[in-house]
This record gives sequence, structure tokens and C-alpha cells, in this order.
Amino acid sequence: MYAIARPWEPRPGGLLSGAPLPLLVALGVLTAGAGVLATAEAVPLTLAHALGAGGAQGALLATAVAWAAPRGGPAPALAAAIVLVGALGATLAPFGAAAYLAAPVWLWRQRARLPGLGLARASAGLVAAGAVLGALLGAHLLVTASLTLGYGVRAPALDVLAPWLAYDLGGNVLTTEAFVRGALFDRVQRRWPFGGAAALVTAVCLARYLVDPLLPHSLEVAAGAVFYLTLLSLGNCWLYWRSGSIVPGVVAAVAFFVAYRLLHVVS
Amino acid sequence: MTAPRRQAALLAGGLVVVITAGLAAADVSPSTPWRHLYLLPVVLAGLRFGVAGGLMAAVGAVLAFGPFVLREIEGHGPTRAAAEGIVTLAVLALSGALVGSLAARARRQRERYETLRAVQRVLAAPAPLGRVAARLAAVLSRRLGVDTAGLVLDEGRMVAGADVLDPRSLAARVLVRREPVFVADAGTDVRPRRVVVVPLTSAGQTVGALAVERLGDVSREERDALVGVGAAVGLALDNARLVARQRRFAEELEHKVGAATARLAEMDRLKSGFVALASHELRTPLTALQGFSELLATRPFAPSEVRRFAEIMRGEIERLGRIVSDFLDLARLERGLAPAIRRAILDPAPLITGAVELFRRTRTTHRLELHVEGALPHVDADADALDRVLKNLIGNALKYSPPGSCVRVRARAVDGVIAVDVDDEGPGIPAEERARVFEPYYRVRETAALGPGTGLGLSVVRSLVEAHGGTVRADAAPGVGTRMTVILPALP
Repeated sequence: MYAIARPWEPRPGGLLSGAPLPLLVALGVLTAGAGVLATAEAVPLTLAHALGAGGAQGALLATAVAWAAPRGGPAPALAAAIVLVGALGATLAPFGAAAYLAAPVWLWRQRARLPGLGLARASAGLVAAGAVLGALLGAHLLVTASLTLGYGVRAPALDVLAPWLAYDLGGNVLTTEAFVRGALFDRVQRRWPFGGAAALVTAVCLARYLVDPLLPHSLEVAAGAVFYLTLLSLGNCWLYWRSGSIVPGVVAAVAFFVAYRLLHVVS
Repeated sequence: MTAPRRQAALLAGGLVVVITAGLAAADVSPSTPWRHLYLLPVVLAGLRFGVAGGLMAAVGAVLAFGPFVLREIEGHGPTRAAAEGIVTLAVLALSGALVGSLAARARRQRERYETLRAVQRVLAAPAPLGRVAARLAAVLSRRLGVDTAGLVLDEGRMVAGADVLDPRSLAARVLVRREPVFVADAGTDVRPRRVVVVPLTSAGQTVGALAVERLGDVSREERDALVGVGAAVGLALDNARLVARQRRFAEELEHKVGAATARLAEMDRLKSGFVALASHELRTPLTALQGFSELLATRPFAPSEVRRFAEIMRGEIERLGRIVSDFLDLARLERGLAPAIRRAILDPAPLITGAVELFRRTRTTHRLELHVEGALPHVDADADALDRVLKNLIGNALKYSPPGSCVRVRARAVDGVIAVDVDDEGPGIPAEERARVFEPYYRVRETAALGPGTGLGLSVVRSLVEAHGGTVRADAAPGVGTRMTVILPALP
């Protein structure tokens, strides 16, 4: 028993210790620079979006990799580069959205060296629970938005949905879950009670989506995002709390975003 | 999840679905009285699963009823029905949290009482403390709903739940600081392992530590409750120890009282025997005196014959005197007084030689040998008392030795003391009875028939020797018989 038979030593380091600061600064500069270039119309808007999103999401994944890997694990810069290449590839090449899938493939191959993300240990039951959670929230979103708020639901055409699915799986959802759940929540839950930890990372998660330039700028969409993402984030916190893996959360979020992409609100 | 919990979860979820389907089919407004039906699954889940269950059911109900309210707002604006619907959503959310919280608190309180009852049951069963601690750890682990529970008792010498106590562990820290410790994560698992260690206290003293670990949250209420459990367990453990100690004390007392009663019964038996024996011992010389005095008074005898009768009568009178002296000494002993002695500095050698010579003259049936090794130092002693001691020991040796055997008396100076051995060739004293021959009234059963005696001689010997600061003991003599050894302090 730990409390009796093993020596106790205070936890070394703070909540944010071990973050790859130089890399984050560089990615921050890249993202801000993309915004400036887009404003100045110096580069095509799609390219600026790709650079900005790739830089921000790369920063999230790089931090997650830095925190989740023991000494000698994969390089955070490589993770950021893979996300950035995925974002640029989706913009520059036909069928380039498939480049987003490089990140999940790379992460899966590195799963043994990233124990903090728990890619190899999610139970099938909790993965199924994640799918149910995402599907329920997504279905509710579709019903509420279409029947009461007047948003249309489009037919699930593969050529439209596939790039979004690739983006969500390899960029949007994966980087958010890796950082918010696999890195931040994992650290906070070891210091705070579950409720406090879930509230904090849910706030971070909401902030991440609310500042995302891809979110349509309307009050009802923002209110809906707050409502559904709060529930999704709390549910994903519980799934990570139970499983120690980001996989159920990724499944839940992907299922929810699939429903979201079916709404006409998405540009 | 257990079957009853699974059924309750399915029932709550099913109720939400059925109520929503009913409301949708009836196409009602958000102010319909049927909306209150959502309270059923919310209250059910709160009662069954606590705060988390109540909140989840409330979220489910809000998600299900929300579209009715949104549609009202979308279609008719902020109407009274929409307001009632919004209030209903808030009431559902609050109800889930409130009912769940109250149910969880009541359940925790009940579990705490049940835990204490289980602890009392474990402590009530008589068993060694180590086994009790192991059972307690198992009971606490099960009752408190934790992954592991352990106990440290007797300042770390007794541990349950682990093999040994690490001196740098949290439990050791609590034993020293006497304050509860909470660690949010042990850092040993994929999931956070919460650790709580509380002192076991009784009457302000720390009697041990209780440690629990759980993969999951331990709320502040639970931690506070654990401190209470620690105090209760400490008190119960202390009480159990006191009861065990009292039981041991009662058993020891019973044993001692039994031994004392047996000893008193033995003393009573010996005294009864002594009374009979003393009567006989006193009657024998009195009968002789009476017979010879009557002869002398009623018949004429030749002068030589009169002298012989007078010698016999003198011997019997001396015997009577010895018996009476023994009685007097015994009476003093029983009152807790030392025999009366008058000390003087004297040479023991003439006393020893005189006693041996006296018996050589009067007891010609035995051979008496005397060995005095070197010059004996002087002693500070009562000459009469030493004479009685020597005559008693030599007389006993002659009495219990077969005729023709040899009695050896050896005196020597050793390391500041004088040792006098009296060896005989009699049947000897069984080893288990050697210590008891110095007790008043005690006579060795096997040799009691070999000669008359009151059973007082050796007890008087011991009291006289001890009054001089010496010792006396009985051993087996080399070969056969008994060796009595008297040791007296010598003057430098």
C-alpha cells in the first residue's frame, strides 16, 4: 500500500511545467502572422487560415506530446510540424484533406511512447459510451436546430463531409482532446477534485472553440456552442477520468462534429 | 454496475424517453402540467446515484424538454408558457443536484454508522491484535468504498494492509505529526490515486493511523468523515485493548487466587497434621517423665538406677525444651518477626566440633566424620542459635540415615563466607521437594515414617541462618543421600 509501504515525496514542478515554450512562441508568432497577412490580404485567405489553424492546433498537440511523453519521447516540434503540414496540404492539394490523417496515424504509431494520452488502453465499453454521448448530443443538436431554430439539415454527401471528417479527426478534435484532456485535464485532476478539474478544462475548451475563426459569428450559434460543448466537454472529462485515455473523448467529439457538419449553419 | 443500479438507470432513462414521446405526441405547450413528470426520473436518479446521477438525469430531462421551450420562444416569443418552461428547466436541474446531494449525504451518514458497527463487531471478537487489525483493514476497505485500506498500530510495529511501515511514508508522517494528510495523487497509476491518512486517536493520544486509497475522488465530506471514523476506531481499539488487558488481569487474578487457596488448603492440612504430630511429640516425653517419676516416687531403686532414670528424664526434658523453643520461634516467624539472637564475635570451629562430638557420644549407631579445612575466620553470630542450627542439621542427617551409614560434616572458608556441609547417606529428598523442606510443617512424604518430627526444624534453621545474613539449601549429596549447606558471612 502506497501510504504505508512507500516513501512520500512532494510532487515536483508546477501545473504548467515542461511546456515547450520556444516552440509555442514560434507557433504563436506563426498564427498571429497568418492573421496579420490575412488582414493585409498579402496571402490568399485560405492559406492564411491554414497557417493560423495549423499553427494553433500544432501548438496544442505539441504541448500534449511534451506533457504526455516521458523523457526521450517523440519531439513536440515533429507533432506540430505534422499538423501544420496537414493543414497546408488540405489547402494546397486536391484531396489534400487526407493529409490531416497523418497526425492520428503518427500518434497511433507513437502510442507506446506517449503513455499520458492513453491511446492503447481505452476499454471498448467506454469507447462505445463516447460514441453514444457524441451521437446523442449531435442528434439533439440536429433536432433542436432544425425544428426550433430553423437551420436546415443537408444530406450527408461524402465529398462534402469527408474533408470535414478528416479535419475533425486529424486537426480540430484530435489536437483539442490531446491538449485539453490528455495533457491539461490529466494534470489538473491530479491536483484538484474532479468537479473543479472538469470545470477548468471545460472553460479552456469553450475558449478554444469560441475564438476559433471557423465558428460562425452569431449569438445563437455561440450560445448553442457553449451549451453543447459544455456538455460534450464534461462528458469527455468523465470518460477520461474513468479510462485514462483520450480515445473515448475523440470518438464522442467526432460523432458530435459529424452531426454539426450536417447543419447548414456550417459554411 | 450492479443489477439493481443498472435497472434504476434504465428506468430513469426510459421514463425520460416515454415522457418526451408522450409530450411530443400530444404536441403540448411548455406550460403543460405533464412537464412535472420529468421530476420522477430526476428524483429517482438522485436518490439512487447521488449528485452525479441526479445531475445526469436532470441534464437528460433538460435536453429532452428544452426543444419544447425553444420552439415556443421561436414561434411566439417570450410568452408566459415559455417562462414556465424555462423555470421548469431550472427546477429540474436544481432538483437533480439537491436530491442527489441530500441522498448522498444521507447515504454517507448511514454508511458511516454501518462502518462503525462493523468495526465494533470486529473488535468484539476475541483475537490477537494483529488479526484484528487485518480484519479491520478489510472491513474498512469494503465499507468505505475504497480500493485499499491499511492500519498502523503500536507506533508502527503492527501493520495491516502492507508488509512494513516505511519511515518516510505518509502514515509514518501522520504518526509523528498527529494530523490528517490528504494527497490528491500518489502518482502510481494512470488514474489519480487519492490517499487519505488520518490518526487513530483515543483520549487525546494517537494510537495509530488509518490509511485509505482510492482511484477516484475523495470529497472533503468523506475526508472529514474519515477523521471521525479514525477517532471512533482509535477509541474502539483502545477499549478493546483495555478489555483484553482486563480479561488477562482477571485470568491472572483467578489463577493467583486459585494458587493461594490451594496453598491455604495445603497449609491447613499441614497444620492439622502438625497439631496431631505436636500432641504426639509432646506426649511422648511427658509419658516418659510421668512413668519414671511415678516409679521413683512409689518404689525404691538403687542409686545407680536412680541416676540412669534421672539421665533419661533429663534427656526427655531437653527434648521438650527443644520442641517448645521451635514453637516459640515459629510463633515469632508467623508474626513476621525475626528470631531473637544475641550476636557476638566468635570462632565457629569449636562450635562445630562441639556439636559433632556431642552426637558422637550419644549416637553410636552411625559414623560421624568432621573435616575443618584450614583455619576458619570469625563470625558475628549468636552462639546458641548456631548451635541449634548445627544440631538440627546433624540430628536430621542421623535420623534419616540407615544405621551404620556415615554422616560427614565439612567446614571451610570460601570468598568471605563460611560454608558448612552436612552430608548423609539417607534416601535423599526428591528434587521438586527440596525447596519446600524449609517451609513450616512440611515433611517429605517418603521419609516422614523414618523418625518423629514436627516439620518445624528446618524452617527454624532457615530463619536463624537468614537472621545472620546467611543462606541454607538442600542438594543431592554426591552418590546418595542429602547435602545441607549453610553459608554464613565471615568477618574480614
